[in-house]
Amino acid sequence: MAYRVLIVDDSPAMRAFVRRVMELSGFDLSDCFEASDGAEALTLLRSEWVDAILTDINMPRMDGEEFLKQLAADDLLRSIPAIVISTDATEARITRLTALGARGYVTKPFLPEQLREVLEHTLGVPDAE
Amino acid sequence: MPNSELGRALRESTVDVLEKMFFAQPLEEPAGDLPGAVLAVKLAFEGAPSGALTLTVTEDAARQIAADFLGEDESEISGRRVEEVTCELANMICGSVLSRVESQATFRLASPQLLAAEAWRLDPHPGEARVVHSVALEKGKLTAVMETH
Repeated sequence: MAYRVLIVDDSPAMRAFVRRVMELSGFDLSDCFEASDGAEALTLLRSEWVDAILTDINMPRMDGEEFLKQLAADDLLRSIPAIVISTDATEARITRLTALGARGYVTKPFLPEQLREVLEHTLGVPDAE
Repeated sequence: MPNSELGRALRESTVDVLEKMFFAQPLEEPAGDLPGAVLAVKLAFEGAPSGALTLTVTEDAARQIAADFLGEDESEISGRRVEEVTCELANMICGSVLSRVESQATFRLASPQLLAAEAWRLDPHPGEARVVHSVALEKGKLTAVMETH
C-alpha cells in the first residue's frame, strides 16, 4: 500500500530533504504535499486527504503546537496521525506535544531509516518479514 | 553551566548533524580565521541558558553541504538555496546542543539570520560563556560559536 504524506515546515530546504529521505528510505510514498505552516496545512487538508502528517514546531503564523491543537479539535482531521520532526529533543517538549496529539516524534538529526521506522510504526505498516 | 559541558555538546552536535543529515565526514581542526569568502548565520535562543549560535562556513563548503543535503548537483543550486540550507544547518546544530544540555527544560529558537560579511567577526568581549568548534570539510571549513548569557 502506498501512502499520502503532508510535510509542514517553513524551510523549503527541509521540506525537500524530508521528501528525499522518505524516498531514499524505501518508504512507500504515493503522493507528497507541502505546507509552510499550520494554517496553510489546514487549508490544504480541506481538499486533500493524507495518511500522515510530518510537522515542524517552530513556524511563523501558526506553529506546530497550535496546528496539533487545531487538528485535535477537528472531527474530520483528528484521525490523521501527526508526527513531529524537530531539533528539540527535551523531555518536556516531547511530553507536551504528545499530550497535544502527536503520534510520533523524530528528532533532528535523524537517519533515513529512523524516519521510515516512525512513519511505518505510526501507520501500522506490518513488518516485511 | 560549565564551558566544558557546552563545548562537548557543541562538538558532538556539530559532527552528529553533519554526518547524519548532510552526509559529510568532518575532521576536527583548530579554530582560526576562515579562508576566503564565507556564509555566516546567527541564531538566537531563549531558555536556560539563553544566547546565540553563530555559524560560519566557507562558500565552497556551504555549496557542497547544500548539494549533499538536497541531493542535487552543486552547479545547479542557487545561492538562495545554499543560504536556506546553511540556516537549516545552524538551526539543527543549535537545537541539538540545547537538547543535550537542557534535557528537562524547553527552549525556543529564533529564525536564523544571515549576517553581512563584515558583521560576523566575533565580539572581542563575549558574554558569560563562549565555546567554539571548527571542522574541516572536503571543500572548506565550518566554525560554530555558541555564546550564552
